[in-house]
Amino acid sequence: MELEAAEALKGAIALVGYGLAAIGPGIGIGIVAGSAIEAMARQPEAAGIARTTMFLGIAFTEALALIGFVLFFIA
Amino acid sequence: MELILASAECDPAHDIICAPSDVNELFEFREAIFSLGPFPITRTVFLILGIAVIVSAVLFFGLRKKALVPGKFQTIVESIIEFVRDGIAIEIIGEHGAKYAPWLLSIFLFVLVGNLYEVTPFINFPVTSRMALPLMLAVITWVIFVIAGIKRQGLGYFLGIVWPKSVPMALRPLVGLIEFFSILLLRPLTLAIRLFANLVAGHLMLTLLLVSGWVFISSVGDIGARAGIGVAWFTMGLGIYMFEIVVIMLQAYIFTLLSAVYVQTSLYPDH
Repeated sequence: MELEAAEALKGAIALVGYGLAAIGPGIGIGIVAGSAIEAMARQPEAAGIARTTMFLGIAFTEALALIGFVLFFIA
Repeated sequence: MELILASAECDPAHDIICAPSDVNELFEFREAIFSLGPFPITRTVFLILGIAVIVSAVLFFGLRKKALVPGKFQTIVESIIEFVRDGIAIEIIGEHGAKYAPWLLSIFLFVLVGNLYEVTPFINFPVTSRMALPLMLAVITWVIFVIAGIKRQGLGYFLGIVWPKSVPMALRPLVGLIEFFSILLLRPLTLAIRLFANLVAGHLMLTLLLVSGWVFISSVGDIGARAGIGVAWFTMGLGIYMFEIVVIMLQAYIFTLLSAVYVQTSLYPDH
């Protein structure tokens, strides 16, 4: 009986887990993009480098959220 | 056209939210259309072969004449190639970057066309949302950046990973362990998962919003004014559609960019 209840809750718990996994990367991407905008506004001539580095930073940060997303389907 | 339909048993008159009947449908391989010896040819395989045909055709017809004053099509193709060679290969890897440009261009065009299937009407299925495909691309990248490191530094490449010289002595075993896992295991894995998960998420959002919206709108005779929610969902789906086109370009760019960065870090470990 208890096992059945746990089975029924599994999807919901996985969903909460994904929500938790999205908090950190959300803040992280905000910081990365914000700093990149600051850098571009300060030195528009270096905008190209700042943009490339911003995408790199976003890609690395985003990976955590995406792993959470994948785990949501696996769980 | 295979879509994840809002479940067939779902009755829009009672349930206001219809979950897809079986989300695993997205991750299952369909049965083969026909078999070629031991190789079953599925819809995914057809689409992958389609990528090869499309990319070859675009490059062939774009660069066939090599006119000094390029036409419109040649200009587009040349600007894509220049973007990958100058904007990614040479800018990230450095002076040796041009050597890696053909590989990066292949990855970029393959991932781009594979992703674009997602928003192509009547296909609506990004082949890169099958884990096998991004994983294979990531394994190729892994092999190339490991070989580049070994060619450049010999077996000192691995020693440099597990025993980093730039770190204080006391921290070297710990940092080395972390670096070992992050470079040789997590790099290809996150590279593959990033592409895969982005495309799966986009595909799910598009199909859920557009198809559910359409189901609600078309059942207006049964449920009356409540069908209005379908309009909101369909509109939101169209907005996401535009957003997905941006995501598609960005993911192809990021996959190529990260491949270049990984090669760069194994060529010049100090930077």
